[in-house]
Amino acid sequence: MAFYEVYSHPALIRYKTSVCTKATLFLVAILCLTYISPLLVAYRSQGFWTKRSTYEEQPVVRYRYEALLVAATSPLGDHVTWSTFPYLNNMLGPNFRIPAVSVREEDQNQDGKLDLLIFKLQLPLRADEQVYSVQLLLTFSYQLHRMSTVVMQTLAYVQHSSSVPGAKLFIGGDLRLQQRAPLAHRGLNNIYNVSVIDGSSPFVSSYDLENIMRSYQSRNLTTVLSCPSPVWTLGRAEGSPFELSAEIRYPLEVISYRPGFWETIKLAWIQYVSVLLIFLWVSERVQRFVFQNQVLTTVPVAVEKLHLS
Amino acid sequence: MSAISSLVPARFLTIIAHLVIVITIFWSRENNVKASLPLEFTQEQYDSEDQKLVVALAVTLGLFAIELSGFFSGVSMFNCSQGLLSLAVHCGASVSLSFFVFEMWECWTYWVIFAVCSVLPAVVEIILFVGVFGLKKKPL
Repeated sequence: MAFYEVYSHPALIRYKTSVCTKATLFLVAILCLTYISPLLVAYRSQGFWTKRSTYEEQPVVRYRYEALLVAATSPLGDHVTWSTFPYLNNMLGPNFRIPAVSVREEDQNQDGKLDLLIFKLQLPLRADEQVYSVQLLLTFSYQLHRMSTVVMQTLAYVQHSSSVPGAKLFIGGDLRLQQRAPLAHRGLNNIYNVSVIDGSSPFVSSYDLENIMRSYQSRNLTTVLSCPSPVWTLGRAEGSPFELSAEIRYPLEVISYRPGFWETIKLAWIQYVSVLLIFLWVSERVQRFVFQNQVLTTVPVAVEKLHLS
Repeated sequence: MSAISSLVPARFLTIIAHLVIVITIFWSRENNVKASLPLEFTQEQYDSEDQKLVVALAVTLGLFAIELSGFFSGVSMFNCSQGLLSLAVHCGASVSLSFFVFEMWECWTYWVIFAVCSVLPAVVEIILFVGVFGLKKKPL
């Protein structure tokens, strides 16, 4: 009187055949179909090999205490210039004007990385001078550490002009990273660890803003100051200096990089195996039907011995 | 044998599915012809590509006729290996031709599918015909 199933175990049946049979041909065909089809499915549905990925990092930015200022003091193009480069200052002659500059960098969230640069400049003017345009260039050292180590020197360039003479210019913006190509996932990248302005050069052409910007823009990795709305305040009182204040933030950057070999393989493997499971199940059912019902003739050999002998 | 009782209807279904999709391609072949031509094409280029695809589809129908005649006449209905082969290739053809239609593949892919999934079973069918009617072997 057998009421319920107390125990069960699978009984293995081996199907044997020789090499040159239809069963071998069938096996080869079904193995190819099972292991190659998931690769095709995963590849053709796009995204099999990840070519680009992103990561977030707060860069380590420090102001290098180098600046170059050009202010136009008349609508005819007379200008005054100031910089932190002694060779340039010596060459300027009567156009050289020394402003009062105060600079401070702050780490607002106390994570050891500076977050904000506050740059204040007061440019003294003669009685007949008014400021119509300002061009300011500041240099920074920029470092990334999380994936590849990037060490470079970058700049922030601000330019504002107005047909109306101003009293103050306020610039508030973020120093954003611009990439033309994804970064590597490891290694040292210090090709751009050269000064944007060569302070030891005695030639005027090295301090020409156009030359500086041209060679800077030819880099693949640059920073740019994104300042959507500079504020040009009018109505300078007589005798008071022109004030320029800039607050430049160093925000969290989303950086795109090319994933390394193991990361790519891991993601590709996940995609392949998840489709392979379906094909393995289907192939198992097909093979069971074919061999159990002797659609192709093979020799079944039962492995379990029925009686102890 | 229980294998044959499930193999025969499965084989019939896959042959009919393949046939249906080949007939559908007769109506929807415009996208595939356009996919095989460059962006700027002349009417003559279009007509020649279209003609080639129509020829391929017509030959496919002819090979279907051969295979179905062998199947329904009993020459290969109870032959396990031909049944399995026919089932597998027609199933593959139905899937590939659905992709052909939906993904608008180029016309050269039809020739590949044709060679593997129409010519092969028809050739085996002809061999079986020769075997049964020519060499007087039993059809099983």
